Amino acid sequence: MRWRVIGLETHDAYLNMAIDEAISEGIRAGSSPPTIRFYNWEPGAVSIGYFQGIRDEVNLEVCRELGVDCIRRWTGGGAVYHDSGGELTYSVIAPAGVFPKNIIESYRLICGWIIRGLGILGIEAEFRPVNDILVKNKKISGSAQTRRGGILLQHGTLLYGLDLKTMFSVLNVSRQKITDKMIKSAEERVTCVQMYRDAGKEDVYEALLKAFTEGKGYEFGTWSGDELARAKELAEEKYRSEEWTYLR
Amino acid sequence: MITHSSRKVKEGKIVKVEVDCEDVIKKLKITGDFFLHPEDVLDDIEKTMVGLKKDVSFETLFLKIDDIVKNNDARMIGISPESIAEVLREALK
Repeated sequence: MRWRVIGLETHDAYLNMAIDEAISEGIRAGSSPPTIRFYNWEPGAVSIGYFQGIRDEVNLEVCRELGVDCIRRWTGGGAVYHDSGGELTYSVIAPAGVFPKNIIESYRLICGWIIRGLGILGIEAEFRPVNDILVKNKKISGSAQTRRGGILLQHGTLLYGLDLKTMFSVLNVSRQKITDKMIKSAEERVTCVQMYRDAGKEDVYEALLKAFTEGKGYEFGTWSGDELARAKELAEEKYRSEEWTYLR
Repeated sequence: MITHSSRKVKEGKIVKVEVDCEDVIKKLKITGDFFLHPEDVLDDIEKTMVGLKKDVSFETLFLKIDDIVKNNDARMIGISPESIAEVLREALK
């Protein structure tokens, strides 16, 4: 099997999530190859899990004020603040048969690529089931997976920098409650690449790219016109829609 | 009357239940940061609970959810039929 790798690119939340779904559709239809992609979010965004209530999880008013987008993902899991400069996101989309049938084992496999990437940067990390990667017992990466129509999609983030104040203000914790104690407690549970290495974001991307492609047949590619057209359609008609955003 | 219950369940994720109930359950919404494959099974679970009496037992709730999960060959991660039934039972109090 040959993978298509799409190098680091930047889109808004709606197109980012729509691309993942469009490529899943494409692979199912036989028109898209198995794909590994790396991307940034611009503007920054909060994504919530498929089963979460957006009003429960997100401070919509603060997001509006800060120009932070809010989006419901196609995958389960929790709410994530995607800081434009502070993280790197990946997606792996391929026929489910390529991966272990056991869901935790498939997380372990793909998360292993991130752990390998961190290793290249000299950071020792470990997989913590279900879907987290920890460094010295602090979370540095989270992932989420869906398997629909025989296609596995796993996407996840690697924290590069930490902006806890913004993170807490866009997630549904009132600003009055964002105390120093809370920030301190979060700092004890969450970490980022910059805490351990003075590496540029480009270095982190290069390390992930190497780790994700190691031992695989792959080539760098681009989106086809049909893929991009379908992704734009999904971004506008699904991911930006109130019906989808407020689904739960 | 709409009532809520939420908890971090023993399997590790958060389950929130919002239930609109008079004598019987009229509407139910289950949310949280869990994983469930296939995802649509949650809609089936919610729909199946509609019409049940307010004093429905934990065992009945558990068996109904467990049936749906088994019939759909669904996989839950971070939650279980038992945990959902527990949080729902609590919301119905």
